[in-house]
Amino acid sequence: MRIDSSRCSGCGTCHGFCTMGAISFEAAARPDRRLASVVDEESCVDCGVCLRAGGCPEDALFEPPAPWPRSIRGTFSNPLAEHKETRVPGRGTEEMKTNDLTGRYRPGFVGVGVEMGRPNTGAYLRDVERVTVGLAGLGVSLEPRNPLTSLIGPGGRVLPEARDQKVLSCIVEFVIQRERLPEALSCLARAAAELDTVFSLDLVELADPAAGDTAAWLRALGELPYPNGKTNVGLGRRPEQASREET
Amino acid sequence: MSHTLHRRGQVEDLAGDIVVFSMSAKGINDAGSAASLGRFLQLALRYGPVNIGDMKTGNRQCLPAEQIVGAVQDTSIVHAVFDNPAAVTGLLADLREARLGPSVIVSGLFGETGRCIERAGLRPHTTEYSLGIKGNLSRLEPDGFLRLITMCGHGMVSAALVRRTVLDLKRGRCSSEEAASKLARPCECGVFSPRRAGPLLEELAGSLTVF
Repeated sequence: MRIDSSRCSGCGTCHGFCTMGAISFEAAARPDRRLASVVDEESCVDCGVCLRAGGCPEDALFEPPAPWPRSIRGTFSNPLAEHKETRVPGRGTEEMKTNDLTGRYRPGFVGVGVEMGRPNTGAYLRDVERVTVGLAGLGVSLEPRNPLTSLIGPGGRVLPEARDQKVLSCIVEFVIQRERLPEALSCLARAAAELDTVFSLDLVELADPAAGDTAAWLRALGELPYPNGKTNVGLGRRPEQASREET
Repeated sequence: MSHTLHRRGQVEDLAGDIVVFSMSAKGINDAGSAASLGRFLQLALRYGPVNIGDMKTGNRQCLPAEQIVGAVQDTSIVHAVFDNPAAVTGLLADLREARLGPSVIVSGLFGETGRCIERAGLRPHTTEYSLGIKGNLSRLEPDGFLRLITMCGHGMVSAALVRRTVLDLKRGRCSSEEAASKLARPCECGVFSPRRAGPLLEELAGSLTVF
């Protein structure tokens, strides 16, 4: 994101909308030395909130073309951007939201999402590498439909040209056998201790009463699951199934 | 993964904060699903949601409900936020009857949503848990701010906007309802609950000393 200093009146309206605190006043931004707002492009993640919601009275905000690898920022940070490969807007995949149709999460397996930079700290992809290298050491395969996975090479290394790109958040996503979850959690705890940012951690499981009390199991593993979360209620229908039910 | 997960708060203020949303599965039932997703929003509107939205179009704080419903696409993800479990139970029962096709997900306190799901005659299929926040926790905003900003899982509601809004409220420039609606606007999906945000903003404003 950039601000046209010749149009900016220096009102500061846009500052409050910046998710990364990347907009500030600068007197030298205008030839007449009047105060104008400027975007620190290194901190900016191209989420577009200031442009969409800020209501700049002078229409001074604009998004210049973002060539590769700068394009990574907006693709992950702006939820209105739809990934070409998955056609899913936002940072992740359909994950458990459509599991009643896709069957991605099966009995005996759990899904894990490591939401780097959430909430609202942002993350460099070099931070992401601290997590993915550890997981590669465990032999974990990242979810191929997650847009982040295409930026991860052998050994969990992030593509060199992408390492210094910053995003509002992105998700390291994988499925692992239930009994191997403790290993993965230990690996993530080691990475967390080295990070200069944060991540929010998700766990997905089929709602199978025979598997026991998942929250109690997680507490026994030293985790403190929130009392709130998401439930897919199994209403998804394939077209052929819907037709059968109608007849 | 999971724009409605990780809503932070105490059980008391999370109670009655429930999101119901729907999406189709790419390559399985997405073709022609726009009508079903629009129908989902129409059914939700019968139960008085405190917010609705579609990330393709925007939320009800910015746009009229009819415009959001009319613009639904096959690849939309449509959301409705409620402040009471009875409304959620009613909507889930209607959705069960309607057999629209796209998947339906409920997000909120497990105890509360579990009762809604059961009373609507449904059963949980898949569950997603939040294991909290890890890493350099000194980077986080204070808890009072996190309760507000985590209502938008995409991170569109900035801490700076919370600060500005709390100051406006403290200085009597707006009501808590207006302040809450202002915070909800950047959350394109419409999963931010202005109803829950109002009291949280008042609490923050009450703890603030302005000279």
